[in-house]
Amino acid sequence: MSTPLVSMEGVDKHFGTFVAVKNINLTIDEGEFIAIMGTSGCGKTTTLRMLAGLEQPTAGTIRIAGKLMNDVRPHQRDTPMVWQSLALFPFLNARENVEFGLKMRNQPADIRRKKAMEWLDRLGVVEFAERNIETLSGGQKQRVALARSLVTEPQLLLLDEPLSALDAHLVIRMQSVLTKLQRELGITFVYVTHSQSEAFAMADRVIIMSNGEIAQTGLPRDIYREPANRFVAEFVGRNNIITGEVAGVSGKKIEISSPIGRFKLNADATVPAVGDTVTFVIAADLVEVTRAKPKADNVVDCSLISEEFIGSMVTLFLETADGTEFKVQLQERELATLDHNSGSLFYLSWKAESAHLLPAETNK
Amino acid sequence: MRSSSLLTGVLRGYTALLFVFVFAPIAFSVIFSFNSARFPTIPLESFTLHWYETIWADPDVWQALRNSVVVSLCTSVLATALGFATAYTDYRYNFRFKSAYLALVLLPPTIPLIIMALAMLAWFSKIGASGELWSIIIAHTVLAAPFAMAITRLRLNQMDKDLESAAWNLGASEWRAMREVIIPFCKPAIISAAFLTAAVSFDEFAIAWFVSGLNKTVPVLILEIVQGNIDPQVNAIGTFVFLVSITLVIAAQVFFSIRQSKVSL
Amino acid sequence: MAQVGHIDDGSLSPRRLDPYALTWRLPIIAWQVLFFVGPLLFMVAMSFFLVKNYVMQETFVFDNWAKMFSRNYFRDSYVYTLFLATLSTFVVSVLAFPASFALAFKVSDSTWRWALFLLIIPFFTSYLVRIFSWYVILAESGVINAMLSIIGLGPYTMLNTMFGTIVGYMTLTLPLVVVLQTFSLANIDRNLVQAAHNLGCSPWRTVYTVIVPLAKTGLIVAALFCFILSFGDFVSPYYLGGSKPPTLPILIIDTTKSGQQWPRAAVVAVVMMATLITIAFAAITLAYRKRTSR
Repeated sequence: MSTPLVSMEGVDKHFGTFVAVKNINLTIDEGEFIAIMGTSGCGKTTTLRMLAGLEQPTAGTIRIAGKLMNDVRPHQRDTPMVWQSLALFPFLNARENVEFGLKMRNQPADIRRKKAMEWLDRLGVVEFAERNIETLSGGQKQRVALARSLVTEPQLLLLDEPLSALDAHLVIRMQSVLTKLQRELGITFVYVTHSQSEAFAMADRVIIMSNGEIAQTGLPRDIYREPANRFVAEFVGRNNIITGEVAGVSGKKIEISSPIGRFKLNADATVPAVGDTVTFVIAADLVEVTRAKPKADNVVDCSLISEEFIGSMVTLFLETADGTEFKVQLQERELATLDHNSGSLFYLSWKAESAHLLPAETNK
Repeated sequence: MRSSSLLTGVLRGYTALLFVFVFAPIAFSVIFSFNSARFPTIPLESFTLHWYETIWADPDVWQALRNSVVVSLCTSVLATALGFATAYTDYRYNFRFKSAYLALVLLPPTIPLIIMALAMLAWFSKIGASGELWSIIIAHTVLAAPFAMAITRLRLNQMDKDLESAAWNLGASEWRAMREVIIPFCKPAIISAAFLTAAVSFDEFAIAWFVSGLNKTVPVLILEIVQGNIDPQVNAIGTFVFLVSITLVIAAQVFFSIRQSKVSL
Repeated sequence: MAQVGHIDDGSLSPRRLDPYALTWRLPIIAWQVLFFVGPLLFMVAMSFFLVKNYVMQETFVFDNWAKMFSRNYFRDSYVYTLFLATLSTFVVSVLAFPASFALAFKVSDSTWRWALFLLIIPFFTSYLVRIFSWYVILAESGVINAMLSIIGLGPYTMLNTMFGTIVGYMTLTLPLVVVLQTFSLANIDRNLVQAAHNLGCSPWRTVYTVIVPLAKTGLIVAALFCFILSFGDFVSPYYLGGSKPPTLPILIIDTTKSGQQWPRAAVVAVVMMATLITIAFAAITLAYRKRTSR
């Protein structure tokens, strides 16, 4: 149990002069559901393809179950992948698609058929077994593709944005199908996505990549509450980011002066020195909005720019006198308690513990 | 508005006339092959199967037909295989001098047949291979492979780029993926290419004439009959040749369109 | 940019001699070098050989070149062939254009698909037999003159004339030229044509000032194919044109078949190739010029 299922050490991947991935260090344990998230071109798909053996690392080592995989060709691995395009074989029917992996392992026809039907059944598409792939709906194809990848009972399943082509309501359904499957089977999922909601909803651990590097690895909650750097804070998108100068330090408590006011917060690890320029974030849902000026620390006065409703949640977009933008998330019923007819001036406030100090940026 | 629809009408009529021009020789060849006149013209004389009986009884025609069938079949197999290999290489790999490689494959149809014919004749006599049936096959393969390459390449363009990787990913070696995925996917194009290359070979007369020696193919036989004088049996042979090559080209196009209607994204 | 990895640059097989890759790559190289490049290069070499007592000697002399270039009939033949191919290119391009225009803009998609289907057929169908059929149709007592005589015209001599040759070239090239022209016209952005109309451009002016320039590349490529095919064809000028004066392809046949003078035929062929390469190069330069400056 001590060796992780997957370990990548110092992995680089170059395409000609283009550096797709640099210095990836990563371990994945057995049974984990890992999401690799990032914008397009961040190297997440290349990382996944290296695990499948479809790309060879330019430098570094990749081990799966302790075995060095750098030179192992794709077909000699057991790392099935669910493709963004699904990549179902159009000239085979659903059952034959599922049987493909078994056929390549030279299993006899009757066993292939039995296992394929079992998996189609498990994924709820057994009635389409003999149907031409082209005639299936997006969701049905998705299930066939999953069955095809799982039929060989791998330890590790790679998923490359498998839900990106589905309608929104199907995405939610498939998310629960995937998490349920992963728990029941106890196998490791490595799930590449650009969608935060997918990653945060399903994964045990999220890896955020940027420009070919890992920007942060952590539990979904940690990434949200304690972004490791400005990139992650911005990427997660629900953060207010403020930069200022350290005006005073007493123990772990520090005071920061910025153009929009003086703020107090707690440093967690390294305490900055007076005079340092620092950046901190406050998650949008940890900000209080009031009409009256509260008697508290950390207050900013803002005017309301716009509101955005998503279900019962509201995001308010506000602006200080000098143009600094703020986002506040609250329930719709909380919004109702604010008096709407007294102009656009609001006071924002937050507790010192809610603010999270970003570590000093080493690069840039 | 009226002048514009008049213009449209005129243009369509003109286009129809152009099609008449293109198909008139084929139509007249067929009509005259059943006409008893020694010098075919209108008004038509009586219906006859005489010209067909003449060629049916002619051993030279049978020999030429046998030669043509052998040459077309062999050319079709070789050109389709070579065209497929080239299309796959172009689809899958990037390498230095790739454009030179593609030029090498695709240029033959742009070179006048008469020049190819002379070059082939000289080269085959140099290497001691002239006058054989297989010298025609070799030359026709050079000529037909680019067509097979083009058809297969179009098909590969429609393939999901992940399909081959998906096969490897599920445990297929490169060879196995070729057999289980690439070839089945390309099957309509391969069949289409086989028909089209057979048609190219079946109709080619310049190279065949130069390098065939005594092993005449059907078009070479026609060429030699025509060089004599007007002989209506050419219409009968010609009608037969039209029938064969049109069937081959239509078959090629039908498989091509099955392929297209199967496109899914 | 995550797609970068999908372009297979052979990174999966860093081994230089990947047997799988070579299996698919090498056969055609070997085949074309042996049976395409080989013959053409040998033909060039052959133009320097000598024939003595009907036996070819592999020498390196300029006799054939000197002889051919000193003959008037060769020069006449060259000029005539060039003239015929150029004439054919203009006639076919001009006659094809209205039909291509109609197929590109004035018919439904399904009609165009059928038209394409029909136009591909003759391109692969027994050119020789079609020319023989024209021979019969165009003859003094042939179908056309028989029809004309009904309305009291003719008979006209159409065989063994330039008219006959051009009809033959049209048989060879018209379907291909219509297909290529239609493709290039159909690729024009319809909005630009509409814009020209809205700006008060008459239909004719729209064709000249908007459509032809936009489709220029395709139109030139179509014309180039027409030129290459006409220039290299021996059937039409021989059977329909009466071979007077002989064109270069007929010269190749006569020299090869009757005189056994393969080296002199090779001179003709090399001159033809040089001409075609020059013209193709010029046409392609013309086709892609001004695209950047516009």
